Amino acid sequence: MQLLTGIILGLSWGFAGHTFRQKTKLSAVAVSSLLTLAAALILPGMFVDGPLFALICTAVSYVTMSSTERLNRLWETLMVSAICALVVFFGQNLLVGIGGRLGTFAALSVLIFTVPKAHKHLITGRR
Amino acid sequence: MLCQHVLILLPLIVAAVELISPFFPLAGHRICLVLLGAVFLIVPKKCGLGNWRNVLASALLSGGGAVATYLLANSLSLGPLIASAAVGLAAAVFLAEQQQLVVYLGTFVGMTSTLHFPSIILVAAAGLIGGVLWEVLNEAWNGVGGRLGTLAATAVLAILLTFGGGL
Repeated sequence: MQLLTGIILGLSWGFAGHTFRQKTKLSAVAVSSLLTLAAALILPGMFVDGPLFALICTAVSYVTMSSTERLNRLWETLMVSAICALVVFFGQNLLVGIGGRLGTFAALSVLIFTVPKAHKHLITGRR
Repeated sequence: MLCQHVLILLPLIVAAVELISPFFPLAGHRICLVLLGAVFLIVPKKCGLGNWRNVLASALLSGGGAVATYLLANSLSLGPLIASAAVGLAAAVFLAEQQQLVVYLGTFVGMTSTLHFPSIILVAAAGLIGGVLWEVLNEAWNGVGGRLGTLAATAVLAILLTFGGGL
């Protein structure tokens, strides 16, 4: 249940981030900061596991900073958001207290999705 | 280009070392020593530094972001997430886009726990290194969300591997 809630919240934050990036002229830093602020202020008061969910949503906000060359469509952002939620959930005991760990998890999630996409021809045999 | 990937992969390698350390307790320390050697001996020779003025400006912006976040998070007890977001929003309002990114990188460094960085001097040093890494690793992982955090974690780990701090 905890993981499912984390994924759903991650998808919501991913959707919000993608929408803000596409529909407004806010910079990537502004969008990520706003999403992080919302996650840190709202989620810990709403859920027992709120601090963990805040971490997941913050990491997803970093995912939404990806360029349109990496993640262009909404489904791509949502897919990476779900991967990121899983990575943060299962990696919550790694790099504890190290600044940048959520960004590292976000980057790992983006690479898990984009590297196979970029080298799809190696798997399918077609360019 | 290869040396840039070696450097930016540092946090992920350390995370992997943390994962395997219960099975190979001695291997973790040896891997960390090799990493330290790679960071301070090989990489500066292979990765070129660009214009030193840009490097200095980035280092100062990143260091400033790190110190501001650390102070807000710990002295005002805002916590790392709110502190980082507040400094990031301030940067987004007052600075140009490239400078915002460097300050935001610094805020990630400033999110480090006081258990690892009990002194603000270490935070400032890691922040400065973060700014240098921003200039050195300008071609690695472009457009990947979370790249700034990875650079920040690399800077923090470089300081922790050098001075110790509970890895």
